Amino acid sequence: MVDLRGAFGLVGTLTKYLSVAVLFPTALAIGYHEPFWPFLAAGAIMVLAGLGLERLGRGAPPIGFREGFFVVSVTWLSAALLGALPYLLSGNPQIDRPVDAYFEAMSGFTTTGSSVLTDIPALDQSMLMWRQFTQWLGGMGIIVLALAVLPRLRVGGRQLLESEMPGPEVDDLADRIRSTAQRLWLLYVALTAAQALILAIFGWTGIDDRMDPFNALAHAFTTLPTGGFSPEARSVEPFSAASQWVIIVFMTLAGMNFALLYRLFVRRRARAAARDEEARLYLAILASMSVLLAVELWREGIHTGEAAFRQATFQVVSMMTTTGYGSTDYIVWPAIALMILVGVMLVGGSAGSTGGAIKVVRHLLIGKMLRRELRQTLHPEAVMPIRLNGAVVDERTLRAITAFVLLYIGLFAAGAGLIALDAAFEGPPLTAFDAIAATATTLGNVGPGLGFAGPMGSFEPFSDFSTIVMIALMWLGRLEIIPIVVLLTRGYWRV
Amino acid sequence: MYPAAAVKIFVIGAGQVGSTIVEALHGEHNITVIDLDSGRLTPLAYRYDVATVEANGASRRSLADAGVREADLVIACTSRDEANLVAATFARIEAPRATTVIRTSNVEYIELWREGRLDVDFVVSSEIETAHAITRVIGVPAAVQTDVFADGQVQMVEYDVSEHSNPDVLGKPLRECGLVPRDSRLVGIIRDDSMTIPRGNTVITAGDRLVVVGSPEAAQAWGQLLAPGEGAVEDVVVFGGGKVGLAIARQLVEKHIGVRLIEPNRDRARRIAEELPGARVYQATGLDPDFLERERIGQTQAAVFAMREDAMNHYAATLARVHGVDFTIAIVHDPIAREVYEHSGVDVSVNPRQVTAEEIVRFAHDPRTQQVAMLEGDRFEVLDITTSPSSEYVGLRFREMPIRGAVIGAIVRDGAPVFPHSDDILQAGDRVIVFTESSRVADVERVL
Repeated sequence: MVDLRGAFGLVGTLTKYLSVAVLFPTALAIGYHEPFWPFLAAGAIMVLAGLGLERLGRGAPPIGFREGFFVVSVTWLSAALLGALPYLLSGNPQIDRPVDAYFEAMSGFTTTGSSVLTDIPALDQSMLMWRQFTQWLGGMGIIVLALAVLPRLRVGGRQLLESEMPGPEVDDLADRIRSTAQRLWLLYVALTAAQALILAIFGWTGIDDRMDPFNALAHAFTTLPTGGFSPEARSVEPFSAASQWVIIVFMTLAGMNFALLYRLFVRRRARAAARDEEARLYLAILASMSVLLAVELWREGIHTGEAAFRQATFQVVSMMTTTGYGSTDYIVWPAIALMILVGVMLVGGSAGSTGGAIKVVRHLLIGKMLRRELRQTLHPEAVMPIRLNGAVVDERTLRAITAFVLLYIGLFAAGAGLIALDAAFEGPPLTAFDAIAATATTLGNVGPGLGFAGPMGSFEPFSDFSTIVMIALMWLGRLEIIPIVVLLTRGYWRV
Repeated sequence: MYPAAAVKIFVIGAGQVGSTIVEALHGEHNITVIDLDSGRLTPLAYRYDVATVEANGASRRSLADAGVREADLVIACTSRDEANLVAATFARIEAPRATTVIRTSNVEYIELWREGRLDVDFVVSSEIETAHAITRVIGVPAAVQTDVFADGQVQMVEYDVSEHSNPDVLGKPLRECGLVPRDSRLVGIIRDDSMTIPRGNTVITAGDRLVVVGSPEAAQAWGQLLAPGEGAVEDVVVFGGGKVGLAIARQLVEKHIGVRLIEPNRDRARRIAEELPGARVYQATGLDPDFLERERIGQTQAAVFAMREDAMNHYAATLARVHGVDFTIAIVHDPIAREVYEHSGVDVSVNPRQVTAEEIVRFAHDPRTQQVAMLEGDRFEVLDITTSPSSEYVGLRFREMPIRGAVIGAIVRDGAPVFPHSDDILQAGDRVIVFTESSRVADVERVL
């Protein structure tokens, strides 16, 4: 039997420190004269729970490679618990049921952006900002954050980091885990600040009347992590075109590899960044799908001129980077438009970005593997290593990518099947396409689905069973399936 | 024989490279050979007038005992890179004035040496020299061997004359065929293993080998004349992905020639494919007719056989020929195999040890000699030598020069090549590219 005391101890430590995050909404609540005790109480409960777990782990041997998967998986469950407690304690009738509160919190930390709320502005300002803040914390990763801030975690850090970082490999930004984590967070904070500032300036200068400082910060908090929560009832629809274009730019950046962005902005290696195969494919898909969608919208007369391009680009970027904002209620769009949106949901952002889903680099490498298979059909003896940006990709990595994509498709099918099955018995009526979209959106950490769960809708009508399925999908999607599925293998528990 | 030019040479390692060096240098110089294996030393001691010492060349004491202090030139040419490096380092301590030459196949050492961080005077790599020899031959149609002098301004080529050669060249006295390309000189004809110095009435026949010295353009023109219709080679198949095969493939890729490399070992094939993105690599033996058929190996313009065993190279080359490959080049390890190869239709054979020895031997020549190329084993040589003011040839017109078994193909004057006509006059300080028999090299060095 695996000794998990050390792992629980580490989860306790992480939970304890993460609970400090409640101080931000507490301060906000005091400033807005709103009840602040739900945040303080949630923080206190989680600190106590963390201390309890730490006690459990005292004296246990240091955790190894195997326990790392457990730590990462359970820490995310515990983070969602911290996120859910303030919703529960506030007693707001929209969200006072544990399943709903946990869904909302999991959707926050995993940067999904699906919501069970039906009347968002009815929440307190501080509660709305807590919702935004959970996405910002989860975006770059709570363990990456812990590695950057806490010196104690260095041992075994790389494996924890790799389990949490999206994409098949950690880019060699720096050889030391701690400095890698610090650089990623620094860049993340800087980009968030930049976006908040630009949006706020739009508000002050009258370019966008709706963009007050609260909205500027709230949207910066959920753009960089490709989250998608908005304190507005109709997502980013009420904002001006200029603000929407700014959000498009920052969503696009958030969907790119942060190591690449670091090289581009900090080390100013524009040429290396411009040659990156994944970045090029990512931008090519975004551009081609946006144009395709714009032409379709214009042709159908839904939008014309600049609006056609803005609405098309906004929706494509939002879906593909797995942000999940809506700048219009696209559920009324024709089938081909919706196909494009659900399609790019499966593509996802780049490796090392805050985006979810399968990720561009995996599609790219699968494409290269297919091309190699076809060539080897003609030339069975040919030896063809697969290269990415000129460097050979290990065959093991390629196998892992194949396994990931197959697991992703498997989970996707299982999730859609379960939601459709549930709809047949007790859930709300759904079309097959709605069930598929709901699965794609939660597993890919996107946010909105179709039908009643569209960008201006809510996930509230889903039954508890479907909600729990979707909580699991969000959790699996954020950690890229394997660290969690490994825990379910019998081999994991054998010594 | 010629005490003025004689130098004291230490050869560490009596393997094939060492033996070839001894063979080329023994008459003129004072040679000491050091090796651990007396079985290799004895035959050398009986055949040549050289001193042999049975000792470890990588030991400072052994080198000192053998008298390395007196040496002018130390050549470390065992098959082990590290031993060569250590021997050269010790020789530098014992005899600081001696020139040191090491043989290595380690690219890292070569790079270090180029950066000036390795305390040896010259580094020679079998693999790279072999690859050079092969890629040069591939560059010239009908060439059996070729070498360049004076930074590539002058090229020496040995051509095979076949029945397919231009009929205007065959069967006619030389003075009657007006086709001889400009800026070149036919310096020798090798027929039935003996050398003829071409004159106006000499007739070229199929089966001859011609030695031409000229500009690189003229070398191409000669190739076109002797093998009409053969364009530039754009597609080469290399059999065997050892160090030599890899070096050949790398140089071909660098010349933008399409390379397919065949290597039977799975890991090795993978490593090469990773290292050389420009080459197409197959994991196969190259002996499977289905494979050769499927990949249309027969349609390639040239095939290079760089496997470890001569017999394998021979068999694979013959099989490739059966499948339609026109031009085959094979690496030969055992000098005897060369004859077998050429008997059975391998067009060109290259011996890595010979090529290496050739490269090393030039360090032992008269300091006026800048470079040496050996032909037909080591029976003929082409030298790049600077004329001394006291030479009896200086001041003579070319047509007045007495013929003594050597022909000047080109001269390099003030850094520019001159392809002399009969009225040109040889001047002191001219670098001459001269073709002669190996046994006459010392004479040539003396009179020029």
